[in-house]
Formats: sequence, structure tokens, C-alpha cells
Amino acid sequence: MANHSQFGFQDASSPIMEELVEFHDHALMVALAICSLVLYLLTLMLMEKLSSNTVDAQEVELIWTILPAIVLILLALPSLQILYMMDEIDEPDLTLKAIGHQWYWTYEYTDFKDLTFDSYMIPTTDLSPGHFRLLEVDHRVVIPMESSIRIIVTAGDVLHSWAVPTLGVKTDAIPGRLNQTSFITTRPGVFYGQCSEICGANHSYMPIVVESTPLTHFENWSALLSS
Amino acid sequence: QSFKLLGFLDVKSVPCARESVLYGSLGSLVVGLGHFVATSRVRRSCDFAVGGFICTMLGYWFYCRYNLAQHRIRQRMLKEGMRNKILFEGSSLDPERRQTGNEKSDS
Repeated sequence: MANHSQFGFQDASSPIMEELVEFHDHALMVALAICSLVLYLLTLMLMEKLSSNTVDAQEVELIWTILPAIVLILLALPSLQILYMMDEIDEPDLTLKAIGHQWYWTYEYTDFKDLTFDSYMIPTTDLSPGHFRLLEVDHRVVIPMESSIRIIVTAGDVLHSWAVPTLGVKTDAIPGRLNQTSFITTRPGVFYGQCSEICGANHSYMPIVVESTPLTHFENWSALLSS
Repeated sequence: QSFKLLGFLDVKSVPCARESVLYGSLGSLVVGLGHFVATSRVRRSCDFAVGGFICTMLGYWFYCRYNLAQHRIRQRMLKEGMRNKILFEGSSLDPERRQTGNEKSDS
């Protein structure tokens, strides 16, 4: 989850998010180079006298056409690589559905057994010590770690969005439409997210909690819930 | 604590950023001073210094990130190999058993 006054990304818990963080660092470094150049040029302009002697500037026009093209290529290539990587869907180990309602999520695990449950936010007055305000839910989405998970996201009433920043996932939940996304969690843990599409009065009060566990624990959990 | 250059690049937490900026500064000094010593032109030497900073910084950045990416790939392969060794040790899928079997059949 995010800490107070956090400005950057959360630590990555999936390979895609790791790639996104790397790309972000790369883009920032390019931005630093450009900002340094612009700062220097601004300083130069401020120290020059104004003059109207320039009639043409072929060399500088060539430079300020080619350089931005190079910068765009430097940014576009890794960006497109990650974009296509995000759309790759190998054979998933588990498929589950996330259905957004006002104002809770319903999860369906229908691969092996019919397992369906609702996930409501735990009100602040009912929190236990150590719980996070406005982030905890009564039923978490438990998934096996290091397995390819496919999530099919839809909504039952208005637009919602299923987002978990640390996994690099944000998928719109649109009524009447099935959106698909997939991810792999690289480590066990509890990952928090929140609804990311305005959906009414309690839009801020329908969080998402994904719990990534070893396969044995996931099997025990699903057996417990099914019984 | 973070140290953000120009307010947005956290050089402490981003891998390779600190070294890139430091090498960039060194490159800028070398190129700028070298040009000044050679030509005694202040304004042009400053231009070269800024150009040297940008080129050295970006050059080292790409070199360092490429090495980091290769390192991460090797780490993942090692992790996968260790997990497979533990999983398949002693079974018919054990790669070490297959390799020993090949060596025996070759000899």
C-alpha cells in the first residue's frame, strides 16, 4: 500500500510493474537531460542582447528537428515493448471474475468449483489493531503466487475500475462488457488497491485487497470457502 | 531521505542514476575545460560542457541499465534453475540426471 505523502510508485510485485518502474526511471532520466539543456538555453537567452539580425538558421533548425525525433525514439521503443508485453496472455493457471457493484466487488472463482463471494470494505469503527483505514475488506481475493492469473472484469451497474498499483493492473469495469487482464505475483503478500472510476457516493469506499499465497495455502483457503 | 535532482529525479533510489549524474558532471568538466584550454573561448566551452554533460550522462545511463537488465535476467534464470533443481531432484525430469545419462551413453 502507499505510505503517507508517498510521491513515487509502490514497490513492484509483478514483472510488468517492474518493467513499468524501469521505464519510468528511463523517461525521468531523459527528462532530466532535456530540462538541463532547456535551463542552460534559457540562461543563455537571458544574458544575450535582443537582436533582429538573424535571417535564417538552417543548422539550428536541423538540430531541433533531429534531436526531438531521437528523443521520441528513445522513449517510444521501450514504451511499445512494454505495451505489447502487457497484452501477452499465456495459458493462465487461474481465471477469476471481478464484478463491480455500488459499492462492493464480487469475485467468482469458477475454474474448479463454483466459489463466489462479495468483498465489502470494513468500516472504520470495526477495524482491528494493525488494519488500514478505508483499505481493508471482509473477504480478500486470494491467489496463488508465481502463477499466471487472468482476471475478467465487469460491472453490474455503473462504471468501476479494478486497480492494484503494486501489480501494475488497472482495468475498467464496464456494464455489459468483459475486460481481461493478467498478471503474475512474484512474491507472497497482501496488495491493496481502490476503485479507480467514479461510481457514486461511496466510490472511495470499495477497496480491493489481493492476497498472494503459496499454492498449498490457496488450496486450503478455497476448500474452506467452498465447504 | 531522498535527493531529487530538479525536483523529480530521486538519485538515491533509482539504480544507475547517481553514477550517471556524477560521470556526467565529470565528463562535462573534462570536455568544457579541455575545450577552454584548447581554444580560450568561454561561451563555446560552456556549450561544450553542457553537451558533454548530457552525452556522458545518457551514455553511462544506457550502459549501466543494459548491464542491470542482463543482471536481472541472470538472477531470474538462477532463481528458476534453483527452484527446478529442488522440484525435480531425483525424478526423471532432473536435468543433472539427464546430463549424466548423456555422458554415460557418449562414453
